[in-house]
Amino acid sequence: MREPMSAEEVLKRLQEALGEAILSHEVREYTMGVRRKRTYRELWIEIDPEAFRKAVEVMFELDYPHLHFITGEDDGGDSLRMVYSFGLFWAIPWGELSVTMRFNLPKDNLVLPTITDLMPGAETNEREIREMLGVEFEGLKNKRHLFLPDDWPEGKYPWRKDEHGVEDMVKHTHRSVNEIRKMRGEE
Amino acid sequence: MAKTQYYVPVGPIHPALKEPIRVEAKVEGERIVEVDVKRGFAHRGIEYMGMKRNAIQTLYLSERICGICSISHPYAFVIGSEKALGIEAPPRAQYIRTIIAELERIHSHILWLGVVAHEMGFDSLLFWTWKGREKVLDILELLTGNRINYSVFMIGGVRRDIKESHVKALKDMINYYRIFTEEMKDVFLADPVYKARTRGVAQLSRDMAKKLNVCGPVARAAGLRMDVRQDNPYDAYADIGVRAVVPQDIVGEARGDAYDITMVRLYEIEQSLDIIEFCLEEMPEGKIMAIPNYVALLAKIRRSEGEAIGMHEAPRGEVIHYFKYGNKRDGPVVWKVIAPSYNNINTWAPLLLGAEVADIPIVVAYIDPCMCCNDRVAVVRDESGRLIDPATLHLKAVEKTRKLREELGVRA
Repeated sequence: MREPMSAEEVLKRLQEALGEAILSHEVREYTMGVRRKRTYRELWIEIDPEAFRKAVEVMFELDYPHLHFITGEDDGGDSLRMVYSFGLFWAIPWGELSVTMRFNLPKDNLVLPTITDLMPGAETNEREIREMLGVEFEGLKNKRHLFLPDDWPEGKYPWRKDEHGVEDMVKHTHRSVNEIRKMRGEE
Repeated sequence: MAKTQYYVPVGPIHPALKEPIRVEAKVEGERIVEVDVKRGFAHRGIEYMGMKRNAIQTLYLSERICGICSISHPYAFVIGSEKALGIEAPPRAQYIRTIIAELERIHSHILWLGVVAHEMGFDSLLFWTWKGREKVLDILELLTGNRINYSVFMIGGVRRDIKESHVKALKDMINYYRIFTEEMKDVFLADPVYKARTRGVAQLSRDMAKKLNVCGPVARAAGLRMDVRQDNPYDAYADIGVRAVVPQDIVGEARGDAYDITMVRLYEIEQSLDIIEFCLEEMPEGKIMAIPNYVALLAKIRRSEGEAIGMHEAPRGEVIHYFKYGNKRDGPVVWKVIAPSYNNINTWAPLLLGAEVADIPIVVAYIDPCMCCNDRVAVVRDESGRLIDPATLHLKAVEKTRKLREELGVRA
């Protein structure tokens, strides 16, 4: 039986391994329940993208995590904000600790190491991020599109809000039936 | 002599697959030697739509992600939003949410049992289970007004109360399903043909389940005690102390095959009945909405900033929503949805390798795949390869129906 660690202990281990690479951290508390109130905690950290792989490895040393999700945000600036969330000590009542890592990835170097060698199940997540945001994963074996069609144009990413987004592809999608009828010369 | 290899594409439209997904299998005789799964045939870009609407509109949009478990996504949505915005739902609303979520689990599990029986060719069993499922749908209609897409959850509460007059109907339903589940256990778990067809089929080891990042009944059947209701409890689940249903607790060992998954689902129906009973007995009094005024709620969201993860254990596994509010918007700035099938489909390729062609439907069906949960942009092109926009598509459909009517001589 695995013993769950507290958010502070996990944070301490991460700090020991990563040092200065943890830019900021926060332990959030949420109280749940009505008659038997209990608090559970979440760890949110902001890291340097260089230390990403190391942080994941530390987590795999503590416990085989459950990958919650990988997502990213493009606000139109110079970098993408990546969010990775793992669940440690799952399968223990009230024990799961969700660790969410966030970091800014500069758009001129959108490369991240894959985690599929540690967890093969992360392939779907990485393929989705690759096609939606254009992040290249070093070491990812299957690089085919996941949701987008195989003939999707190169360099267009649906979640991007800069020139690599799909704005020019969808500018005609909101025409009304009346407009089309007029274009066709119908009444 | 070298064996000839044939290529067998199954889907996106195929009698064995009710969902738009494609399994490309290379076979030698009856044995599958190579397999590839292609998804995304009906991707609707729903997350993107959600980021352009206000939070209440997005909540009801999230209900449309899945056609079967239409409460699972709103549940994760409200939990995540409440965490991000710092709203707490009133106790009574928390209990009502749990009751509705559990009612949905019952109907989803019975639906799956019927589907899996159908995939095996037991159509009488399909009709019997689906007849049994009507009762819970009637109750859901009674409580929420709808049989599907209930539209009853709200950020900070629920929109409809469970009244005293509903309680008797709920208790009758619990009694009905206590008997019906026993009957289903007899039919599914004791039947030698069902056992022969499912024992050892789609067998997932504990280690493989962990590495493939699976969740829900698929993981539990493989022996992993994971359940969001147990690991990260919320609402009334925190009071109940739910424990994950795993085969090793029932029969002593977990083999992780299609038979075990049937067992897990059947016992989970019983667990759901217990949870509903508990909630009915312990239901607190009081209001059902934290901020009943929608304008005030949206104004609060516009003023708030924060990010959070909402999780809910849907009938098929965990549903995870990630939110980021801020930028003075009344809706999420970032919204990411993970549905249970997103991870569970990972099991198909390893399980189908080495299996027989006849096992494709059962391997596919055993995880209870939900493509609409996963596919959230449909791109349609005309003969010359140009994109067709929705309005043209709508016109084409109308024209085709008119043509068909003329051909058949039917008047509108």
